[in-house]
Amino acid sequence: MATRVGLVGAGGIAAEHAAAWSALGAEISIYSVHGAEALAARHGATVATSFEELVERSDVVAVLTPTPQHHGYALGALEAGRHVVCEKPLARTREQARDLVRAAAGSGAQLYPAHVVRYFPEYAALRTAVDAGRIGSPAVLRFSRSGVFPSWSPWFADVAQSGGIVMDQMIHDLDIARWIAGEVVAVYATCSPARDDGRLTAHVTLTHTSGAVSLVAGLWGPPHLTFRTAFHVAGDGGTLRYDSADQHGVRLDLGPVPAGGQPRPAAAGGESPYLSEVREFAGAFAGGPAPRVNAVDGAVAVELACAALDSIAAGEAVAVDTATLVAELNATADAATGRNA
Amino acid sequence: MTSTSTERPLKVALLSFAHSHAEAYAPLLAGRPDVELLTCDPDGEAADDDAPRGRRLADLMGVPYVDTYEEAFAWGPDAVVVCSENARHRDLVIAAASAGAHVLCEKPLATTLEDGQAMVDACRASGVFLMMAYPVRFSPEFQTLRRNVEAGVIGDLLAVVGTNNGKIPVGGRSWFVDPELAGGGALFDHVVHVADLVDALTGGDEAETVRAVTNRILHADDPRVRAETGALVTATYGGGAVLTVDSSWSHPDAAPNWGGLTLQAVGSEGVIDIDPFGVHVGGTAGGGEAWLYLGSDLDHAMLDHFIESVRSGTAPQPDGAVGLRTLRLVLDAQESATTGAVVRR
Repeated sequence: MATRVGLVGAGGIAAEHAAAWSALGAEISIYSVHGAEALAARHGATVATSFEELVERSDVVAVLTPTPQHHGYALGALEAGRHVVCEKPLARTREQARDLVRAAAGSGAQLYPAHVVRYFPEYAALRTAVDAGRIGSPAVLRFSRSGVFPSWSPWFADVAQSGGIVMDQMIHDLDIARWIAGEVVAVYATCSPARDDGRLTAHVTLTHTSGAVSLVAGLWGPPHLTFRTAFHVAGDGGTLRYDSADQHGVRLDLGPVPAGGQPRPAAAGGESPYLSEVREFAGAFAGGPAPRVNAVDGAVAVELACAALDSIAAGEAVAVDTATLVAELNATADAATGRNA
Repeated sequence: MTSTSTERPLKVALLSFAHSHAEAYAPLLAGRPDVELLTCDPDGEAADDDAPRGRRLADLMGVPYVDTYEEAFAWGPDAVVVCSENARHRDLVIAAASAGAHVLCEKPLATTLEDGQAMVDACRASGVFLMMAYPVRFSPEFQTLRRNVEAGVIGDLLAVVGTNNGKIPVGGRSWFVDPELAGGGALFDHVVHVADLVDALTGGDEAETVRAVTNRILHADDPRVRAETGALVTATYGGGAVLTVDSSWSHPDAAPNWGGLTLQAVGSEGVIDIDPFGVHVGGTAGGGEAWLYLGSDLDHAMLDHFIESVRSGTAPQPDGAVGLRTLRLVLDAQESATTGAVVRR
């Protein structure tokens, strides 16, 4: 029987999730304040008139709303015993993120944050190579992500709602830096002054438990910017680097350039990373192996982003202890499910 | 080159071969018809280096040589190029100032602010120029970036990300990894080049806050290495711009090129990236990766500016004041890396 998936939200990212679930043959329902009909029409989906109705007719709920609504919808779905895919950030605050980890463990349902960058082939290849010891111990890592300021929806610019560029965009590379170089003990962050046009850049430096240091740089830039992602990872046995601006699996030289940049980066190659992600989550929901990212990772990414925002506000480095946080969250989850640690 | 037959060649003394750049400068200076070169490397014979030093190196390069700095100064140089160990710049620069010779000083200016200030003061008092050997400022790539930033093409400058990653300099010159003589490790060696470029972009504005993290994961097993090999330095400026520099000695020994320097200027209206050492013909040759560098000779452009400045009497840039400002950034970064705190000015 086809998986029944309910999408909450029908914005840009929901279109990616709908396409992925559609490719997997899922039966899709959509609940959204705006745009549910149009998205449903494109994927042969049905429209739910309320969140309750959506949950009722779904095995899996995908929370694809603006960040402030993640916690409420994810919690509602988990409490109804539904598996949940939640867009990043898992929640807007540390407390909300931890609450969702606990709720998932208590419900027996599975919860996965959609840290899709782990599914982009270039980052997956980096992780595989580092795990195999091909560059030895990572020492100095740089990650950068540049795109247009997301002016298409007003909530992005509101730090109270979105957490700004650190929480919305850079959380991807904060998660990747930890995925590659391990747990984190200190976070320092700086950012350019707030502007009316929303253009903003921030630099976050992570100190890992291993002693490795990572720079995560993010930019919300002018409308013409080509979405660009890059990394450079130096270990004591070599370096690995990638810059989407240097990769040309397909190169189009067409005029004139359409205005408005791209809302999301193109992957280095292969299938849509959103499809890879959703396939892995769907496999886990069906009893398959655990995905490469879990709810604890999502909560730790929120912790790192919150620490970076704290650092910007304080002008000082902020001590964190993600190793202990992971242990605590896992213990909470184990206690909730009655399993032994 | 604007040398004319009516002008006598400028007498230039290259003092010390301690810095490997001396091996690049010597043939460039010797090859100029407007320069008469003399070299001197009295500490070279005693240095614990794999590479040749002293008279042997001078003979290999085919350049005139004297055994002592006294002889070099007695020769009456119009200008000197100081390539001693970082901690030994001070004595030679002050001696040159006393001798009335203009100075091109290898980077960084010194290892302490006191030394650097004394050098700047001595040159000012003697009326000689003190120029810093920051060759990347002369790259056409940086000049293009600077021109565009100054013309407002990228709008307000929001951030700069710089990288200066090289191989660990343990091969020919052992003092590079001696914190006493070098001033530190990768942080000290490499941040100043990027700092110089940022100094040019910000018109000499100094950082308001500096914070750095360092480690020694790269080459941790090499007993010759006694300082940091990895470093990230973050600074903020009064105008709101944010700077981060990766100055790690992270370029692998197996790489076909020495490393490189990149600079990214991020503005409210656009982004400019430069990679002055990155333009090359690549491929596989001789069983390994090929890297045929295609950029211009920045040392040549820098020496040209110095010689021209001395001839014309116009002050060269980057000068000792830039040297002091960039040194201060590095010293603040060292302090931050040691204490873990943000250094505020």
